[in-house]
Amino acid sequence: MKKPLFRPIATTLICSVFLWATLCALVIGVIQAAYTYVHVQDEFETAVREIGQTNVPLLSVNIWDIEPEAIRRQIEVVAARQEIGFVRLTVTSGQVFVAGNNDLASRPGRQFEIPPPGRAGGAIGRLEIVENPHAFLSAVLHTVGLALLGYGVLTALICILITYLLKRELERPLRQLARFATELTPDRLTVPLELERGPGHGRDEIDLVVEGFSVLQTGINNHITNLDEQVTQRTAELESALASIRRLSTLDPLTGCFNRRYFNERIQEELERAERYRRTLSVIFCDIDHFKQINDNFGHLAGDRVLQEAAECFRRELRAHIDWVTRYGGEEFVVVLPETSLGAAVATAERLRLALTDCLATTLPDMTVTASFGVTQQQPGETPQSLLQRADSLLYEAKAGGRNRTLPELRGDRPV
Amino acid sequence: MKRLAGLLAAVLILFANPACAMSVVFINPGKFDEIYWLTATRAMEAAAKDLDIHLEVFYAERQHPRVFEFARQIIARPPAERPDYVIFSNDYATGPELLRQFDAAGIKTFLAFSGISEAAERALTGRPRERFRGWLGSLEPRAEDAGYLTAKALIEQGRRTHAQAGDGRLHMLAISGDRSTPASIRRGEGMRRAVAEAVDVVLDQEIFSGWSTDKAAEQSEWLYQRYPDARLIWAGNDLMAFGAMQVWERRGGKPGRDAWFSAVNTSREAMAAIKSGQLTALAGGHFICGAWALVMLYDYDRGRDFAADEGVELNQSMFTLFTPKEADRFLARFGDLRFEQVNFRRFSKVLNPKLKRYDFNFRQLLH
Repeated sequence: MKKPLFRPIATTLICSVFLWATLCALVIGVIQAAYTYVHVQDEFETAVREIGQTNVPLLSVNIWDIEPEAIRRQIEVVAARQEIGFVRLTVTSGQVFVAGNNDLASRPGRQFEIPPPGRAGGAIGRLEIVENPHAFLSAVLHTVGLALLGYGVLTALICILITYLLKRELERPLRQLARFATELTPDRLTVPLELERGPGHGRDEIDLVVEGFSVLQTGINNHITNLDEQVTQRTAELESALASIRRLSTLDPLTGCFNRRYFNERIQEELERAERYRRTLSVIFCDIDHFKQINDNFGHLAGDRVLQEAAECFRRELRAHIDWVTRYGGEEFVVVLPETSLGAAVATAERLRLALTDCLATTLPDMTVTASFGVTQQQPGETPQSLLQRADSLLYEAKAGGRNRTLPELRGDRPV
Repeated sequence: MKRLAGLLAAVLILFANPACAMSVVFINPGKFDEIYWLTATRAMEAAAKDLDIHLEVFYAERQHPRVFEFARQIIARPPAERPDYVIFSNDYATGPELLRQFDAAGIKTFLAFSGISEAAERALTGRPRERFRGWLGSLEPRAEDAGYLTAKALIEQGRRTHAQAGDGRLHMLAISGDRSTPASIRRGEGMRRAVAEAVDVVLDQEIFSGWSTDKAAEQSEWLYQRYPDARLIWAGNDLMAFGAMQVWERRGGKPGRDAWFSAVNTSREAMAAIKSGQLTALAGGHFICGAWALVMLYDYDRGRDFAADEGVELNQSMFTLFTPKEADRFLARFGDLRFEQVNFRRFSKVLNPKLKRYDFNFRQLLH
């Protein structure tokens, strides 16, 4: 959509004010003109009546004394009056005196009977005075013109004043507001809005807008700060969840030992490290004896308990952070012993075998649990599968040899 | 021009003998060619010649501010060239100011033709020889006589010819000179006294025509329309009477036959009108006032002060009512404005020690 043309609010207001002021001036002017017309008409009538009435006594004397020159002069003086267009004096004895504009002679005029001086009754002459229509018109035009000029000047002055005030009081602060709003970016959010306004005005709507801006800025600012805190919190929660997931994916839920997936990842690294640093590493493969019978005789809960106790026992007997235990299968555990030779590993296995029976004898006194162990040492270049295979083979031999025993790998047909 | 040359010649002759001659300036309010004032000047010149007086005349040409100009000129002269006496008329109320100026300059003054009569003027001047010590006195023709004599003659004529209107009364119109000159006012008063004495006469209206023929003609036109019954027309001077007569003739009337006119003054035309009967009554002769003033000053100058036996402000009968016969005689004697045949020395008290009182009536000059 196309943006509508920009039109300053001051311009709109001024245009409206000017339009209305002019309209009002015109209306008042028309009323004034009508009033003036009536008023001037009255004035002219009064003037003519007064001129007539004031001239009658002297004319009366002059006619009575037969002073034609004086009469002529007096008539001229009357006709010279701006309001008077034409004067005609008709003496009863027949003489006629005229003065003024003869074009107006045919117009109807105001009549004044001239009585003889100091005598009652009768008339010695008749004075007829015709108004001057040009003077009347010019008087009307003059008065109306003056009034209209006055209104015009007043309107113009008011408009100029309003223009000035609008520019100062409204347009400039609004433009500053608009610029401020346009340039308002997150990093400038805390910069307060300060308007350059002249002194001597109270708190007005613009101040309300400025205050509104201040409230808005504070609100947004608080909101942003709050969001940061939430993100930190959520990140921590996420990390904790991730750690939990990671633990769950590497541990056996029942025993707390590492699971087989973890074992497969880690054994590779352990073997490579031992190889790289030419260290010895031994593996113990353990299987609980007659576990199926335990499950059958004492229930699966007891079986689980046996497994948990066994794992607990192993963790207790082994070196923390160096040796690690994996639940490899149902009742099979694999213990990896880095930095350990076969002999030490066999000793450890023996210790584990004794400790296991002791522990379980304490916690589960009504049964005797034993376990069989196969112990082997890593050989150079050996794969995990191969190492485990050998340990499993030894375990199988121990099982076959009567269970509850440790069967170390033989090197040259003798125990190491 | 010719007259002016003659005047200048007379002045030069008189100047030739300045040591013994007394000198007088006359400020004439009228025009140089105005018949009344010209006649008055001629009579004064004749008297001055008889009495060996050096006379100088200024004409104000009826523009009264000019009299003050003349006064300034006279006062500005070196003392040796200043006149002994200044004669002027109180026309247009210029008298008090002239009296004040000349008195301040130490020049003796005498009012002739019009004196001080209004109370306002009297307040300014006081009486002669009081406030203004150099103001010797005044001589006026009794102007009321002119109005009274002519109006009375007019009324009698009206009665004789049965000019009464439908109401059985004689209707008179009066055309006066102006409202301010004392001579005009007095003539009007005389006329009204005559009307008041006659119970069968109505004065319809008195108007003021400023001594002018034209204005009187214009105004009488209205008057005749306004008062169709009026048959007696009284005029304050001859010129206004002629104006009224012209209009009457123009309207188809015949002055002296169907309307009767009176006038004042001794112009040749007025005399002719009296003779022809167009004018019913004519009073005049007061132009001689200036000449009588010279006679009085002559006596004063020679030590015979008029204050003792005549008073300082004289209001003398001078007017005479001219019959056609007297008009003939006037024209014969003075028609060319020559007064040399009058021996003014006859009227001087100094030169005629037997003379006890001045007689200033003009009639004596006609017999």
